[in-house]
Amino acid sequence: MRRFLVHRLLLAVPTLVGVSLVVFLTTKLVPGDPVASLLGPLAPPDARRELIERFGFDRPLPIQFGRWSWNVAQGELGTSIQQQRPVLEIVRTAFGNTAILALAGAVLAFAGGLLIGATGAFTTRRLPRGLASGLSFLAMSVPQYSIALGLVALFAVRYRVLPAGGMHDPVGGGGAGDLLRHLVMPAVAVSLIPMGVIGRMLRASLVDVMSGDQVEAMRARGLGRAAIARHALHNALPSLLTITGLQLAYLIGGVVFVETIFSWPGLGQALYNAIASRDLPLIQGGVLVIAIAFVLINIVVDGVHALIDPRVRR
Amino acid sequence: MKLDRPRALLCTVLAAGLAAAACGTAAPSTGSGGALVIGMTASDIPGTDTVMAFTQGFEGERFVNFQLYDGLTRYDLKQATKTPGIVPGLATSWKSSGDGRTWTFQLRQGVTFSDGTSFDADSVIFAYDRLLNKKSPYYYPEAAGAARLWSGQIESYRKIDAGTVEITTKRPSGHLPTDLTFLTIPSPTAVKKLGNQRFAQHPEGTGPFRFESLKPGQQLTMVANEKYWGGAPKVGKLALRPIPDAGARTAALRSGQVNWIEYPSPDDVTPLKSSGFQLFGNNYDHLWYCTFDQAKKPWGDVRVRRAANYAIDREAIARDLLKGTADPVNQHAPASTDQHDPANDAYAYDPAKARELLAQAGVPEGFSTTLAVPTGGSGNLIPVPIATALQAQLAKVGIKVQIQKVEWSTLLADLNSGKPVQGADVQCASTVTFQAEALVRAYWAKGSPVYKGHWYSARVDSLSEEAERTLDPAKRVALFRQAERIVTDEAPYLFVVSDRNPRVLSAGVKGLIQPKSWFVDLTTVSVGK
Repeated sequence: MRRFLVHRLLLAVPTLVGVSLVVFLTTKLVPGDPVASLLGPLAPPDARRELIERFGFDRPLPIQFGRWSWNVAQGELGTSIQQQRPVLEIVRTAFGNTAILALAGAVLAFAGGLLIGATGAFTTRRLPRGLASGLSFLAMSVPQYSIALGLVALFAVRYRVLPAGGMHDPVGGGGAGDLLRHLVMPAVAVSLIPMGVIGRMLRASLVDVMSGDQVEAMRARGLGRAAIARHALHNALPSLLTITGLQLAYLIGGVVFVETIFSWPGLGQALYNAIASRDLPLIQGGVLVIAIAFVLINIVVDGVHALIDPRVRR
Repeated sequence: MKLDRPRALLCTVLAAGLAAAACGTAAPSTGSGGALVIGMTASDIPGTDTVMAFTQGFEGERFVNFQLYDGLTRYDLKQATKTPGIVPGLATSWKSSGDGRTWTFQLRQGVTFSDGTSFDADSVIFAYDRLLNKKSPYYYPEAAGAARLWSGQIESYRKIDAGTVEITTKRPSGHLPTDLTFLTIPSPTAVKKLGNQRFAQHPEGTGPFRFESLKPGQQLTMVANEKYWGGAPKVGKLALRPIPDAGARTAALRSGQVNWIEYPSPDDVTPLKSSGFQLFGNNYDHLWYCTFDQAKKPWGDVRVRRAANYAIDREAIARDLLKGTADPVNQHAPASTDQHDPANDAYAYDPAKARELLAQAGVPEGFSTTLAVPTGGSGNLIPVPIATALQAQLAKVGIKVQIQKVEWSTLLADLNSGKPVQGADVQCASTVTFQAEALVRAYWAKGSPVYKGHWYSARVDSLSEEAERTLDPAKRVALFRQAERIVTDEAPYLFVVSDRNPRVLSAGVKGLIQPKSWFVDLTTVSVGK
């Protein structure tokens, strides 16, 4: 097991270097002015030149990348150009906020997906089957954006039971209850697509397992439906975990729409702003953190997978 | 690890319970005790260190720099009828010497910063050293860059006595008092204690509000400065929230989470008004316009540029598309500026005349052209729908426009380096004109690096240069009006609309005076039920 983990962690290093390099080159190729966010439009050219030199953007690309990588290796992500705060500090806060949202979304997606998948696979009645299939299809195909706006229109504007956005109330906010109230709608909005994916995937693999010989054998030995279902779920578990892990990783990198609509101060929003203002250190740091999260989640999923299924460990 | 059906069910029930518990708590309140909660269009909290507020454009200046701090001067924002002039701020009076380069400022007595430090000439020198004196240990290059537009013309400054400072400019400059409004003064004690970068986390100024707390990306909270020299604000608290999505801003207002929003989507204006919200707006110094590239045929021909100006129906764009949140403009100087001369409004909607001019220019059948427009960005209103309306109107006289949507940051980079944006023949964006006269020369001076559509008028250059040197405001206005006459005649731009700075307030928010300005005085505002 330890060898497995060490091997996977070592493999992560070239992945991260590759990701950083691609992001670095992309941000350099895209037109735009990294100091404009600080100087505003129409700032005199000498002010622009001074800052570009100060940030080292006039250096050759390999030197810029080398310097950045060296700093990162020492745990130093630099300073955000626009916010004038350490990138590490910004990314840490934003990542924490995104993780709250993504985890809540993943929990909802896992629970909902389990329900949808199990209903679709185990029920023979048409109505619940159709409902499960329809729900998963709907969850996957309605854009997050419209779902989010629909939720806001209904629960924040029409009935006023939930706040329209943000993480805390403007005045006198704070505390877990306040956070929870702000979390409900964005979490539901981000959970739908993964919920649909998990539900459909689980249904398919359960149907597959249920048609196997071992289920026949269980039936022949007189096991009840509940017992058979439990065994079938166990068999479908590895793929369920893999897909949930992947979905969680996607959530961390992909909740930018929902974060924008709900003014959720997460990594998606921070990165979106950073890209719009060409805040290169923040873009680089943010993407790196997402990549690390992605790799780590995958390692954890694989590790759990290996725990469940000894064949993987070999 | 084993997950069976009962446990899965438990998970589901837990998740549902979580949601129910959350829904069960009381509805959000906007807070009591007079809290003004503003939903800004900015995508993040503006910088809290004086000039650094400009990281979120003029909205940052409006809500952060001018609320936490004061400059030596400030805009006269307590009236809504005339273009705001420059009135005393931390200086009570000033006068310039004969050559127009040396200015003496008498400082306000008895003012203290929010950390208790008292304000005097040393505070002013310290603040300017941070921006201009590279030898000062507190020189802050990032802030110096952000301030350069306003500080670039200052040659030297010195303390005469505790209550007097003298500023010398490189050339005579009539707009120095305006520029000093933006060069706000931080508490020197706090900057020295915290250092340049960390000062932003605990900013201390002399402005109408004091810093209370900052949740990055979420909210900046300030409290009223009870001892404000200009009169304490009526509200106890001011909270700023960045809500870049227009739909989300409207939702936040309707749900009672905020009680003031900036720039509602024009389509939301009428429904909001009919549900009891208050719409405010006033013409101010804002111009939504396009620059023709005169190096590209046939835009080099003045008749073609005039034809385009006759071909567009600005009234319809302002009325039907922008729902009255903007005014049509027929010239470069918006109606709210002193430099606006009604006699200069040459271009009424007249498609027949446009066709006639195109025929005279040898393109009676019209032509094809490309137009670059930003997809968003500070002050650009709803740029793509406006460009689409222009496209339809220009097509009626035979000018076939192909729209190129460009991200704002990309557009700015091209514009600043003097290139036509993405190689397009026409490029649209918004700007300010005379509110900050320092900007005018960026568009008109020969040496300026800003993209000007390959247009240059020596007469406009020299008139605006002379205006810059002139100290008498009335004479300056007269010179600019002369320049504007030439601009109207040569039509280097397609004049489209001028924004009215729409904002929507809850019914309980009272006392707002909406001036003819980007900026606003929040001390007169109160929040009731």
